[in-house]
This record gives sequence, structure tokens and C-alpha cells, in this order.
Amino acid sequence: MKNPIQYIRQSLSRKLSLWIVFFAAVIFNVALGFMFTQSLRAVRQEAISRASKELDNTVLRVNSIIQLVETATDNTDWLITRHLDAPDSMFVYSRRILQNNPELNGCSIAFEPYYFQDKDRGRYFSAYTYNDNGNFYTSQEGNDHYEYFYMDWYQTAKLLDQPVWSEPFVDVNPEIHDSKEIIASYSKPIKDKDGTYIGTIATDISLSWLSETISAVKPYPNSYSMMIGQGGTFFVHPDPEKLFYQTIFTETLEHDDPAMADLGHAMLRGEEGMRELRMDGQDCYVFYKPLGDTGWSVAIVCPESDIFGGYKRLQQMVFFIVVIGLILMFLVFSRIVSYELKPLRRLADQAGTIAKGHFDQKLPDDDRSDEIGQLTHSFGDMQQSLMQYIDRLQSATAQKATIESELKIANTIQLNMLPRVFPPFPERGDIDLYASMAPAKDVGGDLFDFYLRDEKLFFCIGDVSGKGVPAAMVMAVTLSLLRHSSSHETDPAKVIQMVNETLCKGNDYDMFVTLLLGVLDLPTGRLRYCSAGHDAPLILHDGTISTLTCQPNLPLAILPEMRYKVQEYKLEPGSTLFLYTDGLTEAMNADHEQFGMDRVREQLSACMNDAPRQILERVQDGVHAFVQDAEQSDDLTMLAFRYTPGEFATILSEKITLSCDLKRVPELNAFIASVAQKLGADATVTGQLQLAVEEIVVNVMNYAYPEGKKGFVTIKVMSDGHQLRMVVIDSGVPFDPTLREKADTTLSAEERPIGGLGIFLVRELMDTINYERVDNRNILMMIKTIK
Amino acid sequence: MEVKITQEGKVTTAALIGRLDTLAAQEIAPQMDALKEVDGTLVLDCKELSYISSSGLRIFLTLRKAAIANGAKIIVRGICPDIRNVFVMTGFLNLFEIED
Repeated sequence: MKNPIQYIRQSLSRKLSLWIVFFAAVIFNVALGFMFTQSLRAVRQEAISRASKELDNTVLRVNSIIQLVETATDNTDWLITRHLDAPDSMFVYSRRILQNNPELNGCSIAFEPYYFQDKDRGRYFSAYTYNDNGNFYTSQEGNDHYEYFYMDWYQTAKLLDQPVWSEPFVDVNPEIHDSKEIIASYSKPIKDKDGTYIGTIATDISLSWLSETISAVKPYPNSYSMMIGQGGTFFVHPDPEKLFYQTIFTETLEHDDPAMADLGHAMLRGEEGMRELRMDGQDCYVFYKPLGDTGWSVAIVCPESDIFGGYKRLQQMVFFIVVIGLILMFLVFSRIVSYELKPLRRLADQAGTIAKGHFDQKLPDDDRSDEIGQLTHSFGDMQQSLMQYIDRLQSATAQKATIESELKIANTIQLNMLPRVFPPFPERGDIDLYASMAPAKDVGGDLFDFYLRDEKLFFCIGDVSGKGVPAAMVMAVTLSLLRHSSSHETDPAKVIQMVNETLCKGNDYDMFVTLLLGVLDLPTGRLRYCSAGHDAPLILHDGTISTLTCQPNLPLAILPEMRYKVQEYKLEPGSTLFLYTDGLTEAMNADHEQFGMDRVREQLSACMNDAPRQILERVQDGVHAFVQDAEQSDDLTMLAFRYTPGEFATILSEKITLSCDLKRVPELNAFIASVAQKLGADATVTGQLQLAVEEIVVNVMNYAYPEGKKGFVTIKVMSDGHQLRMVVIDSGVPFDPTLREKADTTLSAEERPIGGLGIFLVRELMDTINYERVDNRNILMMIKTIK
Repeated sequence: MEVKITQEGKVTTAALIGRLDTLAAQEIAPQMDALKEVDGTLVLDCKELSYISSSGLRIFLTLRKAAIANGAKIIVRGICPDIRNVFVMTGFLNLFEIED
């Protein structure tokens, strides 16, 4: 069974209908309540007036009977007084009264004892006639057994000296009639001419007659009439048990009933009125009124149920109709509202379907112009907009996915631009390098690079301001520019300057790059570097950590006129250089605390003599332990290399110094040939060595001493048995043959330049060459493994 | 260094004898310049050539460029393995017609 409140709440039609029915019920209640109150008053009023009228009529009728009795009696009065001399005429008069008034029961014309003694009458004389269903019997009723002059009807008139109605009484004249008839007597004193009382004329009227008259009054089916005498005795009452034997007060003696007692007293006082009281277990209206001068009082008792019975039935009927009507109303309204709301329900269903993502769900066609129709139309419009929006969203999402995928590719490309193979120089014993970059979530702008050229280690580390694609692009551009610029330049300051100038062009977005570029001459350990606003590297050597002094230069891409100066440092064998970006020192934990330089030094001091890879991994681990779950905000890039140059154990060293003249070339070739012979080289190798040295020396003669300048060239040849080192030293103008562009040997004859082959051949013939300018001398070293 | 130039009909043969180092290249430059005018077939006979520097290669390339301009043909004949190696390194092997 459903929860009824839940059941009602689920349906708008039920709710609406219930409200309507509720208000209708209230209105009906008020209207009907008012109507019923008014009709109750009207019914009561009507009952009162009807009962009063009935009572008046009854009293009037009873009075007329009483009047009749009194009149009949009064009319005979004078006859008696006139004919006192003829006692027998009294019988005639008595009989005549009855004959003239058949309603009367009996009539006695009774005289004082021995009143007619002089007329030979005895002690008793009472002319009595009674009516037995139309037969009149006249007799003299007084005798020794019935001494009438002691009777109430006789005595009261005599004593009160005025006409008087007796209390009803049972006629017990056994001589005449053995049935006991309840009668009331009207007694009037008879007086002679002198006004002396001589007897009483009493006229009886059967109370049953009166009773019938009164009882006939029945304004309502269950109403009844009653009459009480002067003592309160019931003389008319539907209950025979109460009749004559009980007074109106009888019951109040057993059960205290002040209302009833009051009524009794009021009636006895001869008052007229209406009272509401409880009688015989039901609420009644009692209307009462005295009967003339008799001292009797008549009352009509009307049960309330009779008076308001019709009204109550009507009320029940109306209530029943209203209830049925309200139920019908509820059902009909439910149906109507439900019918009217049908499109809304369908709309709700469809909206639910649409809400599940089926946007193409067709809405019900509806030509209604009411609110539901408007809602349907609005909903349709919304659905259209939503579909368009979803379409746009989908394409936007697809675009975004494409962009994201492209970004990812871009990121990969960017990362692939960095050197990835470690160890990078496995064949070399003098340099061990490792670098790592932990990119942040976004595509970042950190960069590092390194390569060996002509026995020089080029390395750089940098950080592009900002994040995302712009930073990544600037990073890529910077990296390319660096590689390009350093390919023909060994001065880091010059390279940085070139890169700076290019980067400044078209830098409309105020991005900048901090960069540290270093060139380490491996044979000498001479480090030349230039920092463009980048964090100074750390040098780990001999158990200490020191900072490589860096001039506070501006970062790249800010000022094109900026002149960068090269700095120098002699890197001791066994030193490790540690480079990093601010992603390391500014790595933040959840408390926004930075990793900081102290922690970097702490980590480094614990692994000072480890290989670069172990150092970087240790620092990285330290950062992870510090940062923990906090999101990495910036790229973390580190580069470290350890410089361990080997000793060159010379077993052969030859030297020749030539003046700067091409004519000395054969001399040079001869010198090389002799050295080669000492080394046990064959003709081919000898030729190769001759060619390489000749090309360099000729270049020096042509370019280090231009315009026929005088000078000398010294050629040293050394060997440790495995490696041959040939060093060409001159004091001419700076001339670095390693910066010569490599000849393109794939060009056709027409396209090929005439020159440029010399240095190219040297590079081809030797393992490596190295140029240094030291103390205003050009020093070019050629290295070749011979065994 | 010696250069012997012989003419047989349309074929001019220049026999290069000795080491063609930088100095030698300067010395033979005038003789070699004359060969630029050859419009038939120029044979550079290198059977006796034992060494060549970049200056020598430069002369070869100059002749080659001139031959293309003149519509002449150059044949390099009989280069030793070491010089062939230099020709390989410098890409000259592709520029010249080589004969053993």
C-alpha cells in the first residue's frame, strides 16, 4: 500500500483536485451552515407559532365548552329562583338544561336540607338529570347514603359564594350509574329573592369529552396535549397511569427536575408561555396556557425530534448529497485536470528522455495556445538550442582533442630535440655527462643541450619564461639558434649575443630566456662560459661545493644591444659541474615551501664523488621526497658532467719551426715523413699526415699572417704510442680553422667553390682537431689514433 | 714536380710527375692555366703522381669548370690508391671521368 501523502504528491491532478474539493467543501460548509442555522431558526419559529396557534385554538374551544356550561347554568338560574314554590319544576329545569345542551353530562339542582320541608319534601332535595348517550334520566338523588350537601361541588359554591369549577372528580353515584365517569362540575350558588343562599346548581361535563378535544390537538405526530387541574393533577394525558393519579410534580419528587417543577408552578399560576425541557428522555418544547377561570392549564408537548425531524432529515440528505457531490467533483476534476495535463506528462516523459542524452527525441506536436502549449514550444526551442550547443560543443571538444593531441606531439618533438642518449660519450674517458628534464604538467620551456666539437664540450641549460606552447616554441627556437650559432663559433658570449639579437627580433610577447652556455676545452680544462641571467652552476671539487661566478647579465630576448662578455674558469681534473634551472630550487611542497639552495647543497654534498647520473638521481629523489604529492609547477632540469682528463704519456716528441713562407712546405713534408718513419707508419698514413699538416700550415701562412706579414709556425708532433697529436702553433692574428664551413662534396662541378677543401680534408684525415687561442697564439691540435 | 704536355690530334695529355703540394701547385699554375683552353679531350695522366694537396685539387676543379665551359672532356688517368682516397673524400670521384 502506497503512502497516501506520497500518492497525492506524485500527481498534480490529484493535488489540484484535492485543493478544489477542499475549498468547495469549505464554501459548501459555510453556505450550508448559514442556511441551516437560518432554517433552524425559521423552523423553530414556525413550530412555536404553530403550536401556539393550536394551543390558542384548543383553549378557545375548551373555553367555549366551559362557556357553554356556564351559560347553560346561568340561563337556568333565574327560572329556579322564580319557581321556588314548585319544587318539582326543578326536575324539569334540570332535564331541560341537558336536553338543550347534549354535551353536558349531568345537572344537579340541589337545595339546603329541609329547604322544601313546607312542600312536603324531606331532608334531601336534589333534582338530578344525567345524559346517557342521548337518554336523559331525571331523579332525586339525595338520600341517606348520598348526602349531597356535603359534597365538594355543593360546598365550594356555597362557601365561596360564587360560581366555581370543581376539580375534576370521579362520579361515584352508584344508584344511577356504576361506571365511574370522570367529570368536572360547574357549581353556582342559588339565592332567593333576598339573596339568601338556598342551594347549588351544578352542571357536570364529562371530562372525556374535554379530554378528547384537547387530545385531538396534535400539531406533530408525536406531540401530545395534557391538562392539569388546580392541584397539578393530570386530567388530560396520553399516559393513563398518570391520569388522575399523578400530578405534574410527581416525577420531580423522585428525580430532581427543577425545569419540570418550574413549569408546573407556572401553569398553576395561570401563566402562558413556552419552555424547552427534557421530558420522558427526550428534548421537548412545551407550550402552556390557562383555561379561563377554571384554574386549569393546558399544555402541548412537542418533541424536538418531531419539530426538527424534517429539518434533520433534510440536513442529512443535504450532507449526503454534498459528500457524494464532492467525491464526484474530485473524480471529475481529477479526470479533467489529468486530461488537460496529459501533454505536460508526455512532455515530462520526453524531457526525461532528452535529459538522458537523446537530444533528437521528437517533442509531441501540440497546437495548444495555453501555458502547456507555450511550455512545449519553449521546450522545443530549448531542445533545438541544446542540440546546436551540443554540436558546437562536440566540434569544440574534437578540436580541443586535436589541439591536445597536437600539443602532445609538439611536446614530444620538443623533448626529442634534447639529447636523449646517455651516456653520450661512452668511448671517452675524460668526460661523463648526464642530464635530465622532468617536465611539468604543461608543455614547458626548459632546455638543455650539449655536444662535442673539435675536442670541446659545448653545453647549455636554459629556461624560457612562462609556460605552455609559447614557451615551448621559444624554447625550440632558442635551441635551434644555439646549435646553429655555435656550429661556427666557440666563444659562448658571441653565440649568446647572436642568439639574443635574433630572439629580440619579433619578440612581441615580452618573453625572455635565461641561459648559461659553456664551452669546455677538453685538452686544457679551460672553461669559457657566459650566463644570460641564469642560475650560477655549482662546482663540486675536492669535497667542496663552490659557485661558478657569473656576471649578472640580462636574460635573452630583452635588449638586442646587450653586450655579453665571456668568463673563464680553469676546471680542475676530477671536478663536476652541476647546472640546473629554477625548477629545482623553487620546487614547492604542499605548504608552499621552496626546496631552496640549502637543500640542493645538502643533497650534493652527500654524493659529491658519484657519477653525474647518480648525482642527478639523488637530487631528483630529494626533490620528490620534499615535494611529495604537491603538483609540479615548473620543469625541473639538471645537467652535470665530470671532467677527468687522462694523462698523455709522451714517448715521442718532435718539433720544427718554419718561417711563414710557402717555399718551406717541402721541408715540412720531409719533417713529417721522418717522424712517420720513426713511428713506423706506412706510406699511406705518412701521406695522410703530410696532407693534414700541410693544409693547416698553409692556411696559417695565408690567414694568420695575411698580406705577407712575417712570422713563424711551429709544428709539434707527439705520440704516446696509441695516439698521435700534431700541434700547429703560430703568433699570427686569431685564426680558428675549425670554424670553416664544411665543404659540400655532393655539389656538381659547376656549383662547387674552388676553395674550402683544405680544412675539410684535415677533418676527414684526422680523428679530431682542436683549436685554442692562448696567450695571443693560435694553437691547433690534430689527433689521430695510430694503433 | 714536372708536367709533360703532349698533343695527339684532339687529345691533349698532361702527365703529372712527382708530388703536387701547395708549392708545386703554385709552380705549375701557368702551365695548367694554358690547359683551360683545350677544347678536345684533356687527359690528366696521374700515373707518376704520388701526392696531392688541396691546392692541387683546386687546379683539377678549375680545369673541370673550364672544360664544361668549353665543351671539352677531361679524363683523369691512373691515380694511385692514396689519391683515389682523397678523390673519394672530396667527392672528386663523381666530378671526373677516371681511367686506370
